[in-house]
Amino acid sequence: MWSGESVRRVGVLIRHNLLLMRGEPGPLVSRMILPLAFLALLRPLYAAAQGEAAGTEQAVVGTLVTFSLLALGISGSAILTERLGRTWDRLRGTALRPAEILVGKAVPVFAAMLAQQLLVIGFGVWVLGLRVPHPPLLLGVLLCWSCTLLALGALLGVLVRGMGELSAAYDIGGMLLSSLGGALVPLGALPHWVAAVAPVSPGYWAVHGLCAALVGDAATVAEVCGVLLVVALACGALAVGRLKGRSGRLVAL
Amino acid sequence: MLAAEKLVKRYGARNVLDGFDLTVAPGEITGLIGHNGAGKTTFVEVVTGLVRPDAGRLWVAGHDALRSGSAVRRLLGVAPQELALYNRVSVREHLRLFAGLAGLRGRRRDAETTRVLDELHLAPVADRPAGVLSGGQRRRVQAATAMVGSPPLLLLDEPTAGADPETRAALLAAVRARAEAGAAVLYTTHYLPELVDLDATVALARAGRVIARGSQQELTRDLPGELRVAFDDPAEPELRLPTTDPGADLAALLASGRTPVSVDVRRPGLDDLYRSLEAAFSERDGGEVRDVVR
Repeated sequence: MWSGESVRRVGVLIRHNLLLMRGEPGPLVSRMILPLAFLALLRPLYAAAQGEAAGTEQAVVGTLVTFSLLALGISGSAILTERLGRTWDRLRGTALRPAEILVGKAVPVFAAMLAQQLLVIGFGVWVLGLRVPHPPLLLGVLLCWSCTLLALGALLGVLVRGMGELSAAYDIGGMLLSSLGGALVPLGALPHWVAAVAPVSPGYWAVHGLCAALVGDAATVAEVCGVLLVVALACGALAVGRLKGRSGRLVAL
Repeated sequence: MLAAEKLVKRYGARNVLDGFDLTVAPGEITGLIGHNGAGKTTFVEVVTGLVRPDAGRLWVAGHDALRSGSAVRRLLGVAPQELALYNRVSVREHLRLFAGLAGLRGRRRDAETTRVLDELHLAPVADRPAGVLSGGQRRRVQAATAMVGSPPLLLLDEPTAGADPETRAALLAAVRARAEAGAAVLYTTHYLPELVDLDATVALARAGRVIARGSQQELTRDLPGELRVAFDDPAEPELRLPTTDPGADLAALLASGRTPVSVDVRRPGLDDLYRSLEAAFSERDGGEVRDVVR
């Protein structure tokens, strides 16, 4: 399936989607800068409550998961704007296969999401003194978490009917998944029922995996990556299924 | 180039395509006309692969389009009815995108982009985002994205809807040039004089089928024109007579003693064809639609 021609078409589409992102940089820039500001302002509180090292780790991990969930809008709007503008059908009318369209859209968004997370980690390391003794484990979790975010965002982009709905979905949903996961406030400080339902949230697994990676717990990292990839596959399959519609037609609106 | 045979597409209880047959040869412009809901856009969507028919067969350049969708779409240039452009992307980048997806690279892609920009009079706005263009310019951009790369089969679904005369003229000239270069063109429109300008083969769709097909001359040969005679008579200043023999009818009028001030003969056109077939089909026999194939 992935012939040279196929790879070239995907390359054309990736370039086009990078152009689209460059044309509207506001959402991306805000998702990059806001977490750094949040981290800088609130880290002293975490450090006072949990100690310097643990507080810094909680602040960085919590900020990364929270703001990466809030960045679901980038993935969602990448699909929604095509649907609303009816350009999705235009792309489907070209030589592009459905998988090529999805990869062409996914690569720039995936790169943006990963860049946001690496920026937060980098800020944590160089400005706040976060220690990362096992970088490959951390990168593994970040890659799997980015896949989950991509698929979750795509599913949102396929399900919602307008930008307002998308905004509400990732604002409310993102904060909910982040809070349930113990990103902003450690689960130990929350009511018992929150800890009981936390594993339902992909945010929980992201926090769990990032913390495990920072202490070098490879077994937990592998478990977390497995869960995150299963969630990614499930959301991705639902998104593709919804895209195809019931009559075999790719759904625009 | 394009051959559709007995295509059927159902949405619920309604057959939007109900045995749709149509062929378009290389170098031919086929104007597909019909009332709203006749199946024109659905047919275009079937050829494009956006909609899968429930029955029938479809070939494009010898490929079974229902099995080899990707291979077929490489041969298509499609301008859908609804405008679908990226508002923040420039005209030039639109063409580069579709040229790139058509397999053009580097200098060939840039040369083709420049050629199509010039052909559709878009060069002055090439670097402006599509969202700030006028409606007519946006129509031309949409058509340009279909034509870039010179695909052998062009599907243009009402490409001049809402367009100004400059846009219409530029688009028709470009369509003619494509057909002269050997492309097969399927052109849907509600603006029938365009088909006369294009010297197109006309296919009239109704209720999901093509009910008449041929040149304008063939299809209107037996239709009456209109004889308009003006008199210097306040009681009856003008007379309009349907006529298949204007000379004889005018002679009869003169023989009656009336003296016309002016005489005008209107030959039958596609509007008359459209009305006559619609009138014929409004008289249904037992609920069945009769086929009229001229």
